[in-house]
Amino acid sequence: MTRFNPPALEIQDVDSFYGELQVLRKASLRLQQREVVVLFGPNGHGKSTLLKAIAGIHPAAAGSIRYLGEEISRTPSAQIVEMGVAYIPEARNLFTDMTVGENLRLGAYNRRARSQVAQNLAYVFDLFPRLAERRDQIAATLSGGESRMLAVGRGLMSGAALLLIDEPSIGLSPIMKRAVFGAIAKIKSARDIAVLMVEQEVEHPLRLADRVYLLKKGRVILEKPAAEINKAEIEQAYF
Amino acid sequence: MNIKEIINTLVSGLISGSLYAIMALGLTIIYGVIHVFNFGHGIVAVLGGYFTWLFLTKLGLGLIPSILLALVFMFFFGLLLFKATINPLLKTPNWEFSTIIFLLGMGILLENLALQAFGPRVKHIPAFFEGSLKIGFVRVNWHEISLIGIVLVFILILNFFLKKTWFGQAMRAVAQDMDGARIVGISITRIFGYAFAMATMVTGFSGILLGTKYYMTPHIGWDWMVKGFVIVVLGGLGSATGAVYAAFIMGIAEALATLYLGSLWVWPIWFLIFVTILLLRPQGLAGGRTL
Repeated sequence: MTRFNPPALEIQDVDSFYGELQVLRKASLRLQQREVVVLFGPNGHGKSTLLKAIAGIHPAAAGSIRYLGEEISRTPSAQIVEMGVAYIPEARNLFTDMTVGENLRLGAYNRRARSQVAQNLAYVFDLFPRLAERRDQIAATLSGGESRMLAVGRGLMSGAALLLIDEPSIGLSPIMKRAVFGAIAKIKSARDIAVLMVEQEVEHPLRLADRVYLLKKGRVILEKPAAEINKAEIEQAYF
Repeated sequence: MNIKEIINTLVSGLISGSLYAIMALGLTIIYGVIHVFNFGHGIVAVLGGYFTWLFLTKLGLGLIPSILLALVFMFFFGLLLFKATINPLLKTPNWEFSTIIFLLGMGILLENLALQAFGPRVKHIPAFFEGSLKIGFVRVNWHEISLIGIVLVFILILNFFLKKTWFGQAMRAVAQDMDGARIVGISITRIFGYAFAMATMVTGFSGILLGTKYYMTPHIGWDWMVKGFVIVVLGGLGSATGAVYAAFIMGIAEALATLYLGSLWVWPIWFLIFVTILLLRPQGLAGGRTL
């Protein structure tokens, strides 16, 4: 049964280190296909590290990561992208001397996505009309909110089936936050895509999420359907 | 100072400027993408010229086939050098420093191998065209005009390659944000390898062109490298556009210095400009822009 419809993501007992420092301790979680899951937790407790382990940017030291049933914990990042996992980092990592259009096109660098540049570009411009206006502008000149949109758009250009988004709202004005979360809500309803999102801020993501995980000191300490948890319960865990 | 002098100086500045431009581009590609300064740059340029000379005189090939063969040779030489030596080095801690020192050592080794193989005597590559063009009081060799043309066409092709092909865009992506490049699915070591091979070929080509206008010895590479170094720093390390502008500025500065002060003043003037730039605008003309 699971062979024919495997979970989008299945993480088991993942350990990760930065030098001597252990950041993840047997972290485990699971994502169904088309599910939106938000990972909450205090700063510096391993949320971003977990996303980097999945994307192969900072590979896990131990444990198993399966994407659609396939083990990817030892797979090079380029191949993981090709398989359909897009990582949108908190640091954005845009190509700052290139135009918005060039950045987006590079999002479709993997061989699977190259034939769909036009469709995906139209989709991203529809989602973020602001990016269409700024198409020929150099990425370094974008505002914080716009560059966040560009980072999300670049991730979508890869034609991914699993989106890993790291703190999309950090440092944004309330209006921009609404725009970014509004776009993620649209992605959720329109696309055949699973989303694993890391967040500090609780209200918006909670409305989007199907399920919620809480990560503390490198361990997953709680898992609940989003409908059964409230803001206070999450924030309590931060202290 | 009269109009005749000025125009002649500008023309000779343009000629050496275009040669410096192509030489500096090889250095810029490596610095821009891999973020190391290639201290083996000069000897790589010389090798391009020597291989052409070898194919020309020992294999009896024509000039154009010899150059093309030398370019292919340099590309694979660069790829091999990268895969066999630099790639393993990149995986060690402190790779930036070890790679720079390694390239310096490799430069000295290659220089002395070239000395063994080809001897210390001066070598030339024949000019592409004979005769000269005379417009009014200005007389320019057809060969030198062709050098400017070749370099301009080369710059246009390189620009097209970097801006309009997936591979060129991937090179720029790696130059601008390595993690960003990884995120969109670019394999960094693959791009490093091909960028190094391409830069080796471009540098070899610059050596061939230099060898047709000046002369070659195994040691001349250090002079070329130091000039290339001044140019890329003036242009802004890693910026291709900046390097091209800087090359023409230095070419013209050199022509002016030769005319008014004598050729012994060329090096002092170059380094005066170099030091002044570092003090006033350390990021160079292009100010931190990348490839």
